[in-house]
Amino acid sequence: MNTLILRRHWRAFAGIAEMTPKFFLAYRAWVWLAFFSQGLSMTIFLFFWRAVYENTDQIGGLNLDQTLTYVLLAQVISLSVWTNVVSNMGHMVREGQIGVEFLRPIDFQWAQYLGGISQLAISLLLNLPLLGLALLYGAQLPTDVRVWIAFLVSLFLGYTVIFLFDWCIACLVFYTTEVWGLMVFLTGVSAFFSGVLIPLVMMPTWLQTIAAALPFSQVVFVPVGLLSGTIPLTEAPARWLTQLIWVIGLAIVSRICFQIASRKVTVQGG
Amino acid sequence: MVIQVENLSKIYRINQKTPGLGGALKSLFRPQYLDKVAVDGISFEVGQGEIVGYIGVNGAGKSTTIKMLTGILAPTTGSVRVLGRDPHQERVANAREIGAVFGQRTQLWWDLALIESLNMIGKLYDLPPAHYRDQLARFTEMLDLGEILHIPIRNMSLGQKMRAELAATLIHDPKVVYLDEPTIGLDLMVKEKIRAFIKQENRERGITVVLTTHDLGDIEELCQRVIMIDMGKVIYDGALQTIRDRFGKYRTITLELSAMLGTGDLDLLDDTEIEAIDGHKWRIRFDRTRTSASKVAAHVMNQVDVNDFSLTEPDLTGIVKQIYQGALNDIKVSTGELAQVTV
Ligand SMILES: Nc1ncnc2c1ncn2[C@@H]1O[C@H](COP(=O)(O)OP(=O)(O)OP(=O)(O)O)[C@@H](O)[C@H]1O
Ligand SMILES: [Mg+2]
Repeated sequence: MNTLILRRHWRAFAGIAEMTPKFFLAYRAWVWLAFFSQGLSMTIFLFFWRAVYENTDQIGGLNLDQTLTYVLLAQVISLSVWTNVVSNMGHMVREGQIGVEFLRPIDFQWAQYLGGISQLAISLLLNLPLLGLALLYGAQLPTDVRVWIAFLVSLFLGYTVIFLFDWCIACLVFYTTEVWGLMVFLTGVSAFFSGVLIPLVMMPTWLQTIAAALPFSQVVFVPVGLLSGTIPLTEAPARWLTQLIWVIGLAIVSRICFQIASRKVTVQGG
Repeated sequence: MVIQVENLSKIYRINQKTPGLGGALKSLFRPQYLDKVAVDGISFEVGQGEIVGYIGVNGAGKSTTIKMLTGILAPTTGSVRVLGRDPHQERVANAREIGAVFGQRTQLWWDLALIESLNMIGKLYDLPPAHYRDQLARFTEMLDLGEILHIPIRNMSLGQKMRAELAATLIHDPKVVYLDEPTIGLDLMVKEKIRAFIKQENRERGITVVLTTHDLGDIEELCQRVIMIDMGKVIYDGALQTIRDRFGKYRTITLELSAMLGTGDLDLLDDTEIEAIDGHKWRIRFDRTRTSASKVAAHVMNQVDVNDFSLTEPDLTGIVKQIYQGALNDIKVSTGELAQVTV
């Protein structure tokens, strides 16, 4: 059914995908600022992990080179992979703009998703210079094309998982127009359990179990793990399958949540 | 019937907030709700090609009704069908065939030039490129869009924005169009342009229009039928002409007297009433079914010299004011009377 929607409205969706970058690029100044702060945190990570490895060669089965590769690459993609579904939805509901979006002749969730994918692609391209910095700091990129493909597929699936998860959370916006606290909480939790800060394999087993039960690791730990070699290429199909199960489950749940929540929408103003 | 509304109600549930931290905590655990009935059991039908004026005072429930008609708001009870569909349940299918303007909102993209926004809308509705170009050319001429096609929406004046908005709303040939205060804040020239445009689209393409406005000029110019609501209930549904005939029985005569007089100095006929006195100018309202302008004027001229006088025809503003007042002060009588003219 979903692919039918996609086929029927392909022109509409192509339009959305093409338009998103225009808005995104309108905030170029922010892109530079984000570059700067991300470069800074990569530098801090570099010194931090060098210090940690002073007295040891292996942590959680990773040596310094592997850890640096993982951590630096995670920093590079972490600028791109988080969605702004919750804050967008909050904004649209508060301002009443959701009413206008509901009037558009396309499925609202699909439209937002394709906008998100398009933004992901642009953002990854824009962040390529940071990849240069990562290489400078000692990250090692794979030469095997299959690794790159495994990475891209899992990044795409992982992004979809996070999008759908955030969509469920965003449905709460219809019940309470106050979401700021929730977002701060989620940002913290997702940073910790996604693997942006440290490779999840370094965590105690019980924390790893929690991380695996949460969706966040699907978008950082899995793709970056594959790219950096922390997760061997042979595991890729199994990882994709897990991601696909997340996608299907969350797609169903998010549809139901939205169906219920949208009955609550009151469309402020006018 | 294009639109069928049956026993439609909307109750907003408003979360009552008690001030202070204690109040915030209390409302977290035991929320206090206040139910606001915005639309209260209304029913009506609109046929293809009609232009219906949907009027009422501020807060009467007009926008709430329109939102339910467009499908962006779910009714609390009752049903809406537009072109045979439930607009909330089948939102996307419904959206392809309708257009809506909400006076205070925009469906255009703030940062994009108008032409880019319109192109995007053409893609969203999957319009064949040739047809889209025809529509664009037609609208550019009718709404004078030439000079604003390349301006981003954020830099447009109110009048430019509303013209842009109308183009965006009608470019996909909707069958039904909802206009919620499309002329709010516009000058007369732009208002006229917009009215002419709506009229033409209605005449040539047979689009059905539901229009809310506080500008009775819009109604007089465009609508043969009005639905009037008050406190969420329909208080009148029928021909514009009927209300004009029924309530247009008062006229106002303005007399310029040669001397300054006080209220008690002049004797007036029964069935008349002083509306205002402004120096030498007296405005007197009379019931034309019981007396006539010449009688009123003659009676005054017998007492004092009159330099000049003029007669004002009843306009819709006055009529509506009467109905609103009647609806508020003496609701039984007027609904009783109005119910008869309900179609
Ligand atoms: N989102 C909302 N939440 C709670 N109450 C609302 C909401 N929207 C409208 N109301 C209330 O419902 C009633 C009807 O509002 P509505 O906007 O439909 O009026 P209206 O006829 O369009 O008025 P106006 O001429 O001022 O635009 C008002 O009392 C308003 O306060
Ligand atoms: Mg309104």
